[in-house]
Amino acid sequence: MNIDTAEALSLDENSEVSFSQLLVLSGLSDNDLRELVDHGALTPIDPNASSWMFTSYCVVVARKASRLSRDFELDAHAVSILLGFVEKIEALESELHALRAGALGHGPAAASDTVSR
Amino acid sequence: MKYKDYYKILGVARDASADDIKKAYRKLARKYHPDVSKEKNAEENFKEVSEAYETLRDPEKRAAFDQLGSHAAGQEFRPPPDWSQHFASGSPFETMGQSGFEDIDLADLLAGLTGRARGRSGGRAGGREGPIPGPDYEAMVRISLEQAFHGAEIELDLSVTEYDDRGLAHRVPHRIKVRIPKGVTDGQKLRVPGKGGKGMQGAPPGDLYLDIQVQPHPLFRTSGQDLYVDLPLAPWEAVLGTSVELPTLAGAVSLKVPAGTRAGQQLRLAARGLSRPSGKSGDLFAIVSIVVPTVVNERERSLYRELSESSNFDPRAHFKLGAAA
Repeated sequence: MNIDTAEALSLDENSEVSFSQLLVLSGLSDNDLRELVDHGALTPIDPNASSWMFTSYCVVVARKASRLSRDFELDAHAVSILLGFVEKIEALESELHALRAGALGHGPAAASDTVSR
Repeated sequence: MKYKDYYKILGVARDASADDIKKAYRKLARKYHPDVSKEKNAEENFKEVSEAYETLRDPEKRAAFDQLGSHAAGQEFRPPPDWSQHFASGSPFETMGQSGFEDIDLADLLAGLTGRARGRSGGRAGGREGPIPGPDYEAMVRISLEQAFHGAEIELDLSVTEYDDRGLAHRVPHRIKVRIPKGVTDGQKLRVPGKGGKGMQGAPPGDLYLDIQVQPHPLFRTSGQDLYVDLPLAPWEAVLGTSVELPTLAGAVSLKVPAGTRAGQQLRLAARGLSRPSGKSGDLFAIVSIVVPTVVNERERSLYRELSESSNFDPRAHFKLGAAA
């Protein structure tokens, strides 16, 4: 069977999505998305612009916010606080990972040592 | 259809109150939610917990589930003959014969009864009238560091829920070919537009989200786009300097090691790491270690002795300074 190859797009700081695209991709309501911006969990590229644009990495954050809100039955404020803690943990894990990678003779990380970011 | 004991999954009695069910769910969600948990198999466990809660929190679905009877987890079963008339009235399951339940998932069966068959997986709105966008799919993809470096075309075999013309849910295998861009890193998320579930009534399909896991490499360690490799040197190579052949993901390169190189020193090879979407690649760092031969012959021993006698190098000079302070 011949299957077409689909392109996977990186969700990172180098591409952009609009406010309405972010709504569709995250499943968040208009109000929840605006609240997440108000609480600082998501930052538009230019907060003063008439129509907000976001880096496509915000899709990852917004979808996480959507899951946390739905699965823990949390409001946008609580989700923002939780996202802040999750982000701090991820930053610390990333720093630890970098220290381990750069440490002499540490050897390649075992599968169980890999850190999800 | 395989039986799942939702009460057992949540760890509650069959007569548990709605409040007890909610408490049990919250406790397990805290433990297994993939966004906050570091437990092994967190995602798998959370899916089970979430599925159990979706059923038991809804009185209608819970009653329908209770009437399926109690079976051993994983046991093949069929709903009792009168079950469809009682609980599936008006749903596509009402007219389904006893033989039609083989490829139906219990969660899809129960979700289908209350018209909420679509929705939880992707965050797009479900359970509403009119066109419904297809659900998003998520998959974890393990790739090698070489694939991350060069980019790769991979085939994924997913098991997804699809709906037939009558709106009945079926688990079906779904194969998809995806091109992974070069330079992806461990933990990175990728989006494949339009490769999620089919939309209904003309609505667009969902997307496929990939969670990239880069497998550990026998030589290289990663930190973002930077790579690290251990570079063992013999003592004389470190003292006199040398040129070594160093492996990189793009093939071996010749690395000049300056005289007087110390253990722990990092020698940087610019732009030999993973490529960044911005164009500039990460770096490769060779971390120096000094290794000594454990077996030496007479000639070598004699040379070391001669070196020891003629050298005034004191690697522990700072001990004396510390003791004098």
